Amino acid sequence: MTNTRRMRNSFARPVVLAPLTITGCTVLLFLVGSILARGFMAPSNVLMLLALSADLGIAAIGETVVILTGGIDLSIAWNVTAASIIFTGITQGNEGHLWIGVAAGLGVGALAGLANGLGIAKLNISPIVMTLGMNNIMQGLTLIYSQGTPSGSAPASIKEIATGWLGPIPIIVLVWIGLAIVVSACLHATRGGRYLYSVGESPMVSRLTGIDNDFVLIAAYTVSGFCAGLTGILFTGFSSMSFLGMGDQFVLPAIAAVVLGGASIYGGRGSYAGTFVGAFFLTVLTTVLAIVNISIGFRNIIYGLVIIAAVLLYRAYTRERE
Amino acid sequence: MGPRPSGAARQGAFGATVTFIVLFVVDFLLKGGHFSAFDLKTLCMNALPLVLVALGQFFVVLTNGIDLSLGPMMSVSGAIAALTFSTSPIGAVLLAMVAAAGGGLANAILVVRLRLPPILATLATMSIFQGVALVILPSPGGTVPAGLTAFLTNGGPALLPVPLVLLVCAALATGWTMTTRFGIWLRAVGGDEGAARSSGVAVSAVKFGAYVLAALLAGLGGLYLAIATANGSPTIGDSFILLSIAAVVLGRVAIVGGRGSPLGVVMGALTLTIIGSLLYFANLSSFYQSLINGLILVGVVGFDMIRKRFLLAVRGGRQ
Repeated sequence: MTNTRRMRNSFARPVVLAPLTITGCTVLLFLVGSILARGFMAPSNVLMLLALSADLGIAAIGETVVILTGGIDLSIAWNVTAASIIFTGITQGNEGHLWIGVAAGLGVGALAGLANGLGIAKLNISPIVMTLGMNNIMQGLTLIYSQGTPSGSAPASIKEIATGWLGPIPIIVLVWIGLAIVVSACLHATRGGRYLYSVGESPMVSRLTGIDNDFVLIAAYTVSGFCAGLTGILFTGFSSMSFLGMGDQFVLPAIAAVVLGGASIYGGRGSYAGTFVGAFFLTVLTTVLAIVNISIGFRNIIYGLVIIAAVLLYRAYTRERE
Repeated sequence: MGPRPSGAARQGAFGATVTFIVLFVVDFLLKGGHFSAFDLKTLCMNALPLVLVALGQFFVVLTNGIDLSLGPMMSVSGAIAALTFSTSPIGAVLLAMVAAAGGGLANAILVVRLRLPPILATLATMSIFQGVALVILPSPGGTVPAGLTAFLTNGGPALLPVPLVLLVCAALATGWTMTTRFGIWLRAVGGDEGAARSSGVAVSAVKFGAYVLAALLAGLGGLYLAIATANGSPTIGDSFILLSIAAVVLGRVAIVGGRGSPLGVVMGALTLTIIGSLLYFANLSSFYQSLINGLILVGVVGFDMIRKRFLLAVRGGRQ
């Protein structure tokens, strides 16, 4: 009796129910898609859609970590673009400069994230203001660095990672799944992960239990910047070059993926598994809308409505528990 | 909580005014000590859309909220006006304002009635308004009566150009609003919502009013932008998402807690506008604009936080 009640209690939490709901919605979308286009549910197409979701999913790792602390990162757009433009600028498509380029791209992202974390933790700047400001700073720095015209292209090995296949499976999907396992393990099985949830749930309690809140916040934003840098490099491989504004398409979907995955925007609740499914759902949704020739305008409207619907639905899950 | 702005708010407006005057003097010197009636008119014309939307953001921020949808709201109202001006100018203005009010109402329902976090609710409506603007006007276009553009950008006597008159009217109207019961309640809600509620403030109504008023001001800003540029653009408002927040922050309005004054916000908007002119006359490429906007936003908030901590430490030391 108590056992079932406990089970039901833990089962009713949005953290579990939200990813299930989104998985269900994704299956529905696949059914719709297969009516519209033959072979939409074929394994190769599912893998293709997973590959298309990977960049968004990786950018959303950072957003998940930051939202778990109760913050938000609006600087993804130009962190992604900056990393990509630095990467192609250094490598110029040259395999020999690959590692310097990768280090520079990841470094730029991580530094921007570190600055975000320092401003938010040490100067108490609100995450919205800090990361919006950082987005502009990165935009300015990127424009000055590239003088408005990004140069270079992606080295072949990055193109291979972004678009190649390992047997029947796209390499980028393996990378994404590998990262997802590592991130989930870190969130749920390490002390650092517990601290993250604890800071998000209650900064006061967290401080009283001896956690260095500032350090946790700085680490979270640094991870977010690093993930944006990684997304920038991988997306460069996908599009084989860098261009201004290439990161804009990640900001809203990354936040949406986290929210659809059942994380609370107030922090302390959520999982990367949820975000993973959320990112995949958004990509499948975009693809289905593209099949029926829905314009970008209507797509934006549907995106907004989906976010609102998800938040309202998940709150109903929370109420059920109480 | 009286009708006058609190001491902190007046101090904030003072800081913002000084910032603007310093930048204005630098700009004046860079231009070789030259400031004509034309410069005055241009400054006001360039600043007016930002002043309007920032005053809207000010109302929302006072309630401890934030509105990321105000920029795209400007695109929507501008697009509607540009598409309907040729049919009926008055109808166009009315339609744009009705759309803005509707958008504001949607935000208010999401935040106040359905209790969504403001950042999520307005992030969603930001996407929706961007979509609406693209659906009704897929690429820049539409028409604006040439006479209207000429009057609103170029009209009036040399020393009292129409853009300046509009700017002053907007500031005075907002300032007056803050002295009404609505304004006083707005500060009370932002200061301590629970205390405001228990002392009889209609908290929900006040917040509703703030979101609708904000959207209406954004709508007016978008309308002026469309008239001044003589066409509508579905993405013209996007840059105002950041700028409206930056102007409010530069006006030293506390992002948490009901303090700040409209004068500070107007000065914040003027400061951001004059930076563009400064870069031009300092021979710096426009690439520096977003860098400097970002640095100023982060720098001002960071400086205020450090100063506050320092003052606290000094007071603590005395006790």
